[in-house]
Formats: sequence, structure tokens, C-alpha cells
Amino acid sequence: MDDAELLERIRQGRLVEGPEHASERYLEGLKRTLVVSGDTELISAPAYLRAAQHAPRMQSYISVVGIIQDELGHAHIAYRMLRDLGVDTDALVYEREPKDFRYPYAFDVPLDSWYEMVVANGFYDRAGFVLLGDIYRHTSYGPWKRALVKVDREETFHLRHGERWMRTLAQDPEHKPKLQAAVDWMFVMTLEWFGLPDDLKRHTEQLGFGLKGMSNDELRQEWMSTAVPFCESIGIDVPAHLDEATGRYVIDIPFPLEFDEGEKRWLLEEGAIGWDRVLARWKRRGPANEEFVAQLQAGYRDLQAGLAA
Amino acid sequence: MSAAPTPEELRGALAEVLDPEYPVSLVDLGLVRGLAVEARTARVQIAFCSLGCPCTELIREDVEERLLRLPGVERVEIEEVFERWSRTDITPRGLAALRRAGVA
Repeated sequence: MDDAELLERIRQGRLVEGPEHASERYLEGLKRTLVVSGDTELISAPAYLRAAQHAPRMQSYISVVGIIQDELGHAHIAYRMLRDLGVDTDALVYEREPKDFRYPYAFDVPLDSWYEMVVANGFYDRAGFVLLGDIYRHTSYGPWKRALVKVDREETFHLRHGERWMRTLAQDPEHKPKLQAAVDWMFVMTLEWFGLPDDLKRHTEQLGFGLKGMSNDELRQEWMSTAVPFCESIGIDVPAHLDEATGRYVIDIPFPLEFDEGEKRWLLEEGAIGWDRVLARWKRRGPANEEFVAQLQAGYRDLQAGLAA
Repeated sequence: MSAAPTPEELRGALAEVLDPEYPVSLVDLGLVRGLAVEARTARVQIAFCSLGCPCTELIREDVEERLLRLPGVERVEIEEVFERWSRTDITPRGLAALRRAGVA
């Protein structure tokens, strides 16, 4: 099928059920989107497991482990669809170089406290919810649309877990400053997550072929439209506000910014940087990239070594 | 002062409390194992689907919050009972809801 026939099919509101309904460009765009989705869900497992060690109670630990189990299930959905499209997913997951993984840079910055863990649920899982919710509502790829019904529900729980804990910690004068410190770096990190602004964005087949419905800037707005009011409601400061006149959220600091990975601090004093520098940082990957990917690949390596012996 | 609710009224209220993940009520999931009201205290026995249920704290909060909204209830006591739970405890309506969410 060529692009024109495919676009006509999508215009009629008919879903793509497999390669027989799709063009080469569509399949490339779909695979790229699925790899980002699978990698993002997968890497959250070691990232959250590391943070879960700071859980204040056994029940809190169990909650995070439950969340991790969900995330692994979501990763499996994306990889399973890639396998159905002919991708060698064993090689993809277990033999790929850490730097070639396609998850957001945010997960390369390790979460070192319970504060950061729950803000990750409140911010990062919210970003996942926004991105996947958009795909669920708009994707032209039938198998993904159907699989996302369950994912959407489970991410709701993750988000609620994060909000519940953020609200509790914000009410305690001892915990509140530490929660605020986590929000300070993680809020901007999540803004960055949504990627290049629309005027710089390539990969237009994602929108053109209906793989997703909203642009990067629209998704960033969607995320802020719930994250900002939530933080305001619990008395936590965020560098963004609603412009009543336009109905849009405005970022109150220079953006994007350079990030100090060691101090987990945005270099406000250096002012806004170009997206080329952000992309270069993403490409270098962050401090926990190798450790997390090695953790995911360790069992497979051991198994292969055992089979070879 | 309003009269204390009956156990059936408690059950009716809990039929509005959904599982934190899926759109199915605690009653339809088969988690509610005992209900009583004594001296304006609602007593609820709840079983969880597994010992490793990640949502026990959220479920307890939701049950308490909902029952405290019933006239005549001033306190809620929740007892976790370690009774066996399996998918055969889910009502037909619960199974249909789970199927719609892609998990049954």
C-alpha cells in the first residue's frame, strides 16, 4: 500500500490492523514510536526499583513494586507489537547498546529519595498518561489502541499514588522543603520530556499518519494543565502559570536550560540554551543509563553464558 | 441525629467505590466480606486480591471516605481478613467491566 492509499484509509476513520494496510513510511514511524514507548516503560522499572529502597513503610514499597510490575507489562505490550511487525525484540531489548535506548533523558537521572520517587509518579507517570492517552484516543494503529485501554487505567493508579504522597508530604513542614527541591528539578525535566517545540519538530509522519493526535507543544500544555493546578493546590511552587487571557500555560523561566547532573540543578543563571544543546545532552545520555540498561540485560547475559558453557 | 445505616446500605455505598486501577467496584470484585454497624461505627471486613496488593492503603482510604459520608456513620473500622480470593469471587457485572478494560 502506498502513502496516498493509506492516508485515504485513515481519512475514512478505518484503523490499520497490520502491515498489509500500511506503507513503509507508516511502519517506520510506528516502529519508532513503539520503541520509544517500550523503552520508556521498561527503563522506569530499574529507575523506580532503585528509588523504592527509600520507601518509608513496607506497604509503600509494595505499592512501588506493583507500579513497576504494571510498567513492565506496558513495555511488553509495545515490544510484543514490534515483534508482530517483524522486529527481533530479543536483540532490541537485550543486545542493544545503552546509548541506543530511546527513553527520555529524565530516567537517566537517578531518583535518590522517596520525595523524588513520588514526584516521579506525580510528574513522569503523568507525562506517560498524557502521551499514551493521546495515542489511545488518536492512533490509527488498531492493535495499539485496543491494548492501551488497560494501560490508561493502570497509569491512573500510579498518578494517584504520586499525588497522594505529594499531598501528604506537602502538609508536613519537615518534609515540604525536600518535596519542593525534588519538584524544582523534576518539573523542568518533565517539560523537556515532551521534546522539541513544534516549530523545530521533524518526524511529521507521527501526526500525518495519525500515530498520535497532539503535537509536542500541545502535549506539554496538556501536562501542565493538570500538573500546575495540582501543585498549586498543595502549596508547592512551580515555574509556570495559566495565562487567563489565552487559556494557555506559560513557563516562567528561561527554557530549555542546561542541567547539572551532579547537583540535579538547572543552570538558570546561564539563561535559555538552544535545543541543539538539549539534543546533544540527550544523545550523550545521563548518569544512570549504563547502570539501568545493564541491570535489565544481566539475566539474559547470564542465560546466554550458561547456554554457551 | 440520623439513624444508623443498615449493612445493606453500607454495601450500596461500597458499590460506588471503585478499585484504584480498574473501573470495577469493591463489591463486584468480591472484596467485601463483612459489614456491620454498631453505635455509629461502621465495621468492614475486606479481603485483598493478593498479599502483595499495591493498593491496600488507597482502598482503605476510599472505603473510609465513602462510608463517613453516610448519615449516621461517625467512625469506620476496617479489618483486613486473610481469606482466599479468586476470580470466581468477581460478580458477572464485575467480570464484564474488567473485560471492557481489557484485563479479564
